Amino acid sequence: MIRIQNLTFAYEADRPPALQALNLVINEGEYIALIGPNGCGKTTLIRHLNALLLPSTGEVWVDDFNTRGAKGLQEIRSRVGMVFQNPDNQIIGMSVEEDVAFGPGNLGLPSGEVRRRVDQALATVGLTGLEKRSPHTLSGGQKQLLAIAGLLAMDPKFIVLDEPTSSLDPAGKRNVLALLQKLQGQGMGIIHVTHNIDEAALADRVLVMDKGELIADGNPADILSRVEWLKSLGLAPPRITELMWQLQQVGEDVDSSIFTIEGAVNEISALLTELRNSTHDYMSRKVGGHV
Amino acid sequence: MYNLGQYVARESPVHNRDPRVKIIAVIALSIIILQVNAIGLLIATGMVIAVTQLARIPLGTLLRTLRPVLPFFFGLFFLYILFTPGRPLPWFPIGPIQISFEGLYLGFLQVGKFLLLVLAASILTMTTPSSEIAIGLERLLRPLKIIGVSSHDVAMMVSLALRFVPTLAAEMNSISEAQLARGANFNPNSMKGKIRAITYLAAPLSINIFRRSDELVDAMEARGYQSGHRTYLRELILTPADYGIIGAIILLLTVMLTWHLFI
Repeated sequence: MIRIQNLTFAYEADRPPALQALNLVINEGEYIALIGPNGCGKTTLIRHLNALLLPSTGEVWVDDFNTRGAKGLQEIRSRVGMVFQNPDNQIIGMSVEEDVAFGPGNLGLPSGEVRRRVDQALATVGLTGLEKRSPHTLSGGQKQLLAIAGLLAMDPKFIVLDEPTSSLDPAGKRNVLALLQKLQGQGMGIIHVTHNIDEAALADRVLVMDKGELIADGNPADILSRVEWLKSLGLAPPRITELMWQLQQVGEDVDSSIFTIEGAVNEISALLTELRNSTHDYMSRKVGGHV
Repeated sequence: MYNLGQYVARESPVHNRDPRVKIIAVIALSIIILQVNAIGLLIATGMVIAVTQLARIPLGTLLRTLRPVLPFFFGLFFLYILFTPGRPLPWFPIGPIQISFEGLYLGFLQVGKFLLLVLAASILTMTTPSSEIAIGLERLLRPLKIIGVSSHDVAMMVSLALRFVPTLAAEMNSISEAQLARGANFNPNSMKGKIRAITYLAAPLSINIFRRSDELVDAMEARGYQSGHRTYLRELILTPADYGIIGAIILLLTVMLTWHLFI
């Protein structure tokens, strides 16, 4: 469990704080999407989760370890893994397997155990067979999978990702997102910072930040259906939701808290069936009237 | 892009040796090469060629690593033959140029030594993946702990530097392409054009390096990196054969050096 208590953080003392009096509890096994306009403090917030930044005031606890305590640093960093935006600058090893071995090596595990974890992590992300490859020859999507494998080898409870798909092609994105859902299924907590609202819809909890404050926290259906509110924050609502909302605006009776294609198909076909039935009734009544 | 002394994957007794043995061998060989006279140099050259054959590396591939350093060694050669005093060669002076027997001998000997040093180092890098060199270096430097140097940190620096060579090479290409696309015209055939192109690359490249290293530091810390002790995927274990070879190298080194002292 990660507990954030009254977290305030300022990069410079005389400037307005980047985070203001934030309170948050994150449980294991939760898939959280963190959204918000640029400069709202998303990245600053997640950097507190593994003690890359320390609070100006307030506390951050990872299980029983306070991020301020020097003793728990290794524990915190093995429990909360972090994937950064640019895949190139987080690869340390000269081969795929050595990169994955970097984390367990830092924990000082014996080499037999390091080997076991490396093989297991590579199997989980589906990069088995590329052990000896040089990381710079991998595709962008494979590099992000490699970065995640590097964290899995440290056996984390939470994985924090800062816009992990922003530089990937559609296939790479799909692979990374599928992996995240698989990991959540295994009980891992996922904290996914994203600009892509369709990705946020995959989460079971959405956090919205603006100007250093947490302004909304709830399930995606509630938050992503507030089309006008999202737009006022400079965020784009999911396209499907916006479509439903526009239909609603022209007077159609549809649910605007839908953000999957399947949901929209159901809703629209229900609408069409209703329309067809009423037209049919009308026609048959008209025809009947003439007879 | 030069393919300088890059790893050549082969199954050979040289490739399979513990990296520490190879590093020690190269250091010993370098000391020997710097101390010997012309006959010793020939023997050392013979040894280097023999190891190349053993490693199944074509001689041509090995010699190609010399190409980028040749201009420098030509310059060195001319400095030696022009500025070494001694008995003049019979058909000189031509104009103000005077060449001596000693100069010619010294020129060939010294340049030969340097070329052989480059070759010896190339054999190491061609038969050993850079990650193994880094691990080998870490193990060899462990005694430095008594003067407060962490061998893990040194090995980390070496392997990070090697790791970023291809990344930075790619970055350099994309910067220069971006400049060309915006109409930069550096005549690649003139020395002046080349130098100009380098100065224009230097600033953006170094800014990018600083930005990259900031992100790299975060990524390393996030994965629990701390200065000091860590473990590796592979632990190196010296076989009796490795010990035998190291013993032989040290014996050879001692013999060559003492022999040299007495001649």
